[in-house]
Amino acid sequence: MIQILSPLKPGKLIVAMSILAIAGLGSTSGVLAADRPVTEIAATQGTPSDFIRGLGERAIAELTGNDIDDTTRRQRFVTLMDDHFKMDMVARFVLGRYWRELSDAELADFADLLQDYLALAYANQFRNFNGEQFVVGNATVNNNDTFVASQVLRADGPPINISWRLRDFDGEYRIIDISVEGLSMGITQRDEFASVIQNNGGRVSALTDALKQKIGK
Amino acid sequence: MKLRNIRALSIGAALSVLTACASTQPAQDQTDFDPIEPVNRVVHHFNQAVDFVILYPAAMAYGELAPEGMKTSVRSFTRNLGEPLNAFNALFQGDPVQAADSMQRFIMNSTMGLLGFYDLAADFGIPYRKEDFGQTLAHYGIGAGPYIVLPLLGPSNLRDTTGIVADYFMDPVTWAAENSDTTNAVRWGAIGMRAIDARYRAADQLAELERTSIDYYAALRSLYRQNRNAMIRNGAPVMAADYDESASFDFDDDIQEVTAAQ
Repeated sequence: MIQILSPLKPGKLIVAMSILAIAGLGSTSGVLAADRPVTEIAATQGTPSDFIRGLGERAIAELTGNDIDDTTRRQRFVTLMDDHFKMDMVARFVLGRYWRELSDAELADFADLLQDYLALAYANQFRNFNGEQFVVGNATVNNNDTFVASQVLRADGPPINISWRLRDFDGEYRIIDISVEGLSMGITQRDEFASVIQNNGGRVSALTDALKQKIGK
Repeated sequence: MKLRNIRALSIGAALSVLTACASTQPAQDQTDFDPIEPVNRVVHHFNQAVDFVILYPAAMAYGELAPEGMKTSVRSFTRNLGEPLNAFNALFQGDPVQAADSMQRFIMNSTMGLLGFYDLAADFGIPYRKEDFGQTLAHYGIGAGPYIVLPLLGPSNLRDTTGIVADYFMDPVTWAAENSDTTNAVRWGAIGMRAIDARYRAADQLAELERTSIDYYAALRSLYRQNRNAMIRNGAPVMAADYDESASFDFDDDIQEVTAAQ
């Protein structure tokens, strides 16, 4: 390919490109993994995909609509997280290297605080739910963890790809991270929290104070 | 020095950089490297002020006034102008199939797609894909370097800023705009419209992020890095072991590794 470019004349380049384009007409286009539709897989009990499907069904049933107030919505969101997430592991992860500075009791408190904060940040997103479909696809195993692919299908835009990272804890699956279009919630939170701690002289208490302020405690 | 000479030089330099390190894996940056954070934060606040006064109101007016079909056309038209550049960069990345796809999109949409206002190629199953020179450099293993918040343009890094400059010089639209005032006007109009359209589409998510984050600047910095990584992977799913050792979630076995990655 590089040889075609060597004369570096725009005119020739465009001709070369056009030839390439026409030659490529018959070829299959390289479809992005992100564009590949997630195909619904048959429901069986106890698989990671079922676990995520169950979470989706409960979220749509319990969190959507205008018939509940935002406080109730947040409480239910926290309950859903309790049932599906490994919060102490998520808490340690988002603290980055600072988690070692906390005692077990402090870590447990932080996990609760984090849960309230995430409920504040995300629960309200379900208020505007408008018949979007949640499609759960296949699970892929990588190292210790299982990744479940899913899509949110919208009427007014391209589907949103969500990947759920699950780990097996004594025979029970629990979510430890979520990636939306390749953006990991855990990594984003970890990077943001690290910035808050670093800009306050390495004090984790600065982060917990900020979180408490945010959720109004 | 004439623009043509600069262009030839920059493309030549770019190609020699590529061949020099063609054996490495695509770059996937795992940590934020921000040595000029105080300066970046000032520029970030400046950008937010400009956004508040100019871009956000313009985007909201556009959202209110332009019918849905017109918004789609604006997006298609501005994307179409970038297709030759997408094709070049796909070629530089050794992906002639993707280059042909971008070129096919450009030819189809510029003609039957009514000067690019309608994305006909997408209907034919050729989806849009942005390939810029920052991604090309990353494809050959060049890491992000220091994070930079560019005035008006927003989050970037040393590699992607270099990419923006290289893209500007090798964009056929730049060459065409040199000799024609009309093309030049269309080009700058398209750049302005692209900014307004993108701001409108991101409005809800950005507002939500700003409302919920404790450190908006740091959240944007992390999201920019992850988004660029995703674009460099061309949307392939991220697998913990393959790419991100810092996100292993293994606390007891790999403490050293996790600590070192911070």
